[in-house]
Amino acid sequence: MSALLEIEDLRVTFRTRYGEVTALDSVSMHVNEGETLGVVGESGCGKSITALSVMGLIPSPPGKIAGGSIRLNGEELTTASPARLRAMRGPDAAMIFQEPMTSLNPVFTVGDQIAEAIMLHQKVDKAQALKDAVALLDRVGIPSPETRAKDYPHQLSGGMRQRVMIAMAVSCRPKVLIADEPTTALDVTVQAQIFDLLNEIQRDFGVAIILITHDMGAISEMADRVAVMYAGRVIEDASADDVLDYPQHPYARGLIDCIPALGRDDHRLAEIPGVVPPLHLLGQGCAFADRCAFKQDRCTREKPLLGSHGHHPVACHGIEEARL
Amino acid sequence: MNTSYILRRLFYGLLLMLGVVVLNFLLIRLAPGDPAVVIAGEMGGATEEMLESIREEYGLNKPVLTQLGIYIANVAQFDLGESFFFNQPVTTLIGHRIGPTILLVITAQLLSIVLGVFLGVIAARKPNGPMSAFVSVFATIGYAVPVFWTGIMLIILFASVVPIFPVEGMQSVKLRDAGFFVKALDVLHHLILPAFTLAIIYLAQYARLSRASMLEVLGSDYIRTARAKGASEGSVLFKHALRNAALPILTVAGLQFGNLISGALLVETVFNWPGMGRLAFDSILRRDYPTIMGVLFFASFMVVVANILTDLSYRLADPRLRGR
Repeated sequence: MSALLEIEDLRVTFRTRYGEVTALDSVSMHVNEGETLGVVGESGCGKSITALSVMGLIPSPPGKIAGGSIRLNGEELTTASPARLRAMRGPDAAMIFQEPMTSLNPVFTVGDQIAEAIMLHQKVDKAQALKDAVALLDRVGIPSPETRAKDYPHQLSGGMRQRVMIAMAVSCRPKVLIADEPTTALDVTVQAQIFDLLNEIQRDFGVAIILITHDMGAISEMADRVAVMYAGRVIEDASADDVLDYPQHPYARGLIDCIPALGRDDHRLAEIPGVVPPLHLLGQGCAFADRCAFKQDRCTREKPLLGSHGHHPVACHGIEEARL
Repeated sequence: MNTSYILRRLFYGLLLMLGVVVLNFLLIRLAPGDPAVVIAGEMGGATEEMLESIREEYGLNKPVLTQLGIYIANVAQFDLGESFFFNQPVTTLIGHRIGPTILLVITAQLLSIVLGVFLGVIAARKPNGPMSAFVSVFATIGYAVPVFWTGIMLIILFASVVPIFPVEGMQSVKLRDAGFFVKALDVLHHLILPAFTLAIIYLAQYARLSRASMLEVLGSDYIRTARAKGASEGSVLFKHALRNAALPILTVAGLQFGNLISGALLVETVFNWPGMGRLAFDSILRRDYPTIMGVLFFASFMVVVANILTDLSYRLADPRLRGR
């Protein structure tokens, strides 16, 4: 089966006061129909930039797609016209964001905002679109949807607003739904509800989901496959079970070790020493080298490429040599 | 929007008007000079006996507080007294002149808001583009140049260089017997220069303000959401962004209304526009107290009404303020 969404060697650069900075460097990943791909990594590693590239929403200037390709259903998106991209946003790919508090327009009712998404892509009148919007609100579990549709965003709680965002995102039955840290701003019980809802939506609508998160718990609950990103590159790409049970890359191992486990008598939570280097200071070698306990000479000279070194694709000289 | 809020707002407006009446009265009485002498002068010379009879007639010999009491009681019945100079009720005088002033002020207000906001929005679209630079330069110049100077320059330009606009008055004498439509067009033709002169400073301000406000709004999450659902650039700018960016513009526009009225005084004088400003100017020179107070009263009244309307429209525009 060919992939629904294929990202290949994607390179995105940003013009900054430090000169041109490469935010994404030869990023490749794919999502199959109906599956969930988890994208994990710490803040600034390029998860959201990858998502915005797919949507054609990289702020430009200063950002631009400098190379590679993004194919959705076989259609190349990096060279698509703005009009084509607009038509694609909604029916083909949709996105929900991290901040439900600020992602809805404060001066329009939620019903209107969902109806607008519907009317942008379907030939229906306002009355019908509003009816559909109410049905969608009902579908995402908002009680008394007829009244709620007339509410403004500030009258809803964070969890409700994220439900509205989900309703808006699925209103045009997208093939891919990108969820960029959809629960980060919500409290824990609401997080679980939102993940349940996303699972239901996936089942009912058959939509593929790209779940961007740094929450490994969410990955184990939601994802079929996982791409681990670090400093603008994918460093490990495998099934969720493999990444969670047999993480290969030292960074991925570090991430898994950071998960506090119930019943384990840890005195201290494990951490990965150091911080992600600023993108404009990335050198020749592996971006993780300075934080890596297994650093070799080669790591500071040469960038490791994502390759199958045994278990599953990983970008690490250490693993590569161990498997030789 | 609830009725109790509107009623409360109207009540405060009334209190404010009472304050204005008292202040006007006291300020004018504090000014040096004896109005009886002035009135007598207009009648052509005065003996002490005549002055006394004038004081008697106009109540000028009563204690100030008594005069104030009488004045407030009269104002409450819309009796603003008689003009010393015209020997006509002040309300009649103002009644003849308030129309042209309102026409001028409202036109200038609309012109500056519509044009200014449009320029600001266009400039915000490309904050580093040439249009943005033009708006900044134009705004600085427009803001720095005094109204009467702009007026005189425009008169010179359109009276001698390109005589396409009338530079004086409100109507052409030769069209006295023309039909309503022709007359209306004639007034419009006369209106262009004074309205533009009055508008230019505010136009510059609104352009700057809406550029800044739009830039801020365009960076917000809900704009990204609008783009993510496939909204067109025009819809993003003029629907999603402008509705939010309009809130500070609305506030400033309401507050500026008072300045616009005092600006009208200068513009009316320069262009010989038969409005209240011209009347105020002449009355001050003639020390025609009742008329000055009448003009001040009506000008304050217009400002108070404008502020109440601003307040209410602010609530209409921003749903978050309703119900408070």
